[in-house]
Amino acid sequence: MQAGIGTEHDLLLQQKKKNLTKKRLDTWLLLLPTLGIFIFFFLLPLFFLFITSFKNFDASTGVGNEWTLQNYIKFMSDPFYLGVVWRTVKIALLTTLITIIISYPVAFQISRSKGRARNYLTLLVLSPLLISMVIRCYGWVILLSNNGVVNNTLLKLGWIDQPLTLLYTELSVVIGMVHVLFPYMVLSIMGSLEKIDPSVIRASQNLGASSFRTFFSILLPLTLPGVFAGSVMVFSLSVSSFVTPAILGGPQVKVMSYLTYEQVAVMLNWPYGGAIGFLLILIATITIIVYSKILARSEKGVAIQ
Amino acid sequence: MSRKLPKYFFNFVCLLVYIFLLAPIVVVLLSSLTTTEYIVFPPEGLTLRWYTELIEHPEFMQSFTLSIIVAFGTAIISTAIGTLASLAVVRRQFKGKTAIVQLVGSPLLIPSVVFGVALLQFYSWIGLAASPLALILGHIILTVPFVMRLVVASLVGFDRSIEQAALNLGAGPMKVFFQITLPIIKSGVIAGAIFAFITSFDDLTVALFIVSTDVVTLPVRIYTYMQYQYDPIITSVSSIMILFTVVLMLVIERVLGVGKVFSSKN
Repeated sequence: MQAGIGTEHDLLLQQKKKNLTKKRLDTWLLLLPTLGIFIFFFLLPLFFLFITSFKNFDASTGVGNEWTLQNYIKFMSDPFYLGVVWRTVKIALLTTLITIIISYPVAFQISRSKGRARNYLTLLVLSPLLISMVIRCYGWVILLSNNGVVNNTLLKLGWIDQPLTLLYTELSVVIGMVHVLFPYMVLSIMGSLEKIDPSVIRASQNLGASSFRTFFSILLPLTLPGVFAGSVMVFSLSVSSFVTPAILGGPQVKVMSYLTYEQVAVMLNWPYGGAIGFLLILIATITIIVYSKILARSEKGVAIQ
Repeated sequence: MSRKLPKYFFNFVCLLVYIFLLAPIVVVLLSSLTTTEYIVFPPEGLTLRWYTELIEHPEFMQSFTLSIIVAFGTAIISTAIGTLASLAVVRRQFKGKTAIVQLVGSPLLIPSVVFGVALLQFYSWIGLAASPLALILGHIILTVPFVMRLVVASLVGFDRSIEQAALNLGAGPMKVFFQITLPIIKSGVIAGAIFAFITSFDDLTVALFIVSTDVVTLPVRIYTYMQYQYDPIITSVSSIMILFTVVLMLVIERVLGVGKVFSSKN
């Protein structure tokens, strides 16, 4: 009897162990396809490009075999290239700021609406997200070019005598970027607006606060985390975006991603293109870290209030 | 009256933003109907000439087909492998989990230009020429993060007792997965697949580096065409793409409801 139970117990234990090893194996089998593709087609290529960025380059012989820091030094000691960095950051900052300003009212309107209206408004805001970026930028080319819609309208109204140069300027890049990144900000702000208890707003209004006052001392502070989260996303996406600056800025308004593309695709200078690319990653990473530090602090601040 | 004023102003501001959002799309659609040889808005006269002219540019149709094939392949593969990985991440404890989650999420942080350059160099080293497969492999990296976010979101809060019950009643693990788990997380999986499809279909940056003269996706074709030409053919191609997306969106709305798809995204 006793022995019988013992063996049964042992059997159960064995079974359990077997199950555990099987489970472990299962886990890695589940992960294997994704992990394999990511190691081979993401990590390895980036690693090799990183190595290439430390190699010398000669226009006639191509990528050399010597190790050098020249590519990074060249970039960081040249005022022209530093100007490109500044332009990239400036465009991203402007984009983020404008996106916040125009997203807020829309996010507020959607979070206030209900049922059908809400669905349609959400659809309207998100629809550009689904339409090809190339096409949307092309729409802006038609709108902003010298004989485009904006200039023609202004000329007809007699507000200007000569067409303004709108296309291939920093302005046109910012406009295109705001258009592309707007939905991300709206979603983010909507997320934090929806967490606010509506009775808080009613209370403030019942106590006689103007809508202005209610907005600045209640709504805005409570939604700051959403605004910050949206800003991180919009900023990092605009710093590294390529399509919009390429179509609406082109060679006239060079940003870092365009420089990377140009060095590789036109100049065939892989090491230099690679170095610019990794500096771009560095800038994006630093801003995300700084932003999340500020974010952590502001969330504490909100909690204390 | 004075209390109403801010409200009217507020609605007016929102209206301006909506106009801003739709303006470039409307302009592209309407410009494609012009009778002129160049793009003009508002269009002069109305004609479908630029759509019929597309027949003489079979390269656009080829690119469209290629883009569909690539986007379809990307959506299927990245949804399949992303769903499997999500199951492991949500349900299993193992060493290096955080690292793996971070690795799989990192393509969202790496500028796609840099990834495109890296991939081109890698492909030329291992001798993988531009092909639908080469494009799909690159796009999988871009889309798996989306798929995993959506599927993980739908797996969290999943009541596992139903699966246990099925297992106890003698169903095999495969049967449990296909008949119980998958139907329950369906909306997350479909949303992931749709996101993957659209991301791949829209990608210019990575494809720009991988394409060759015979293998050109539609966004790359449009991008290179519009650098040298300014005729309305480009707007007719774009309009077809927009209509295609609208139809796709209507399908999504019917199947899932748009709000649902995007609410799980954040």
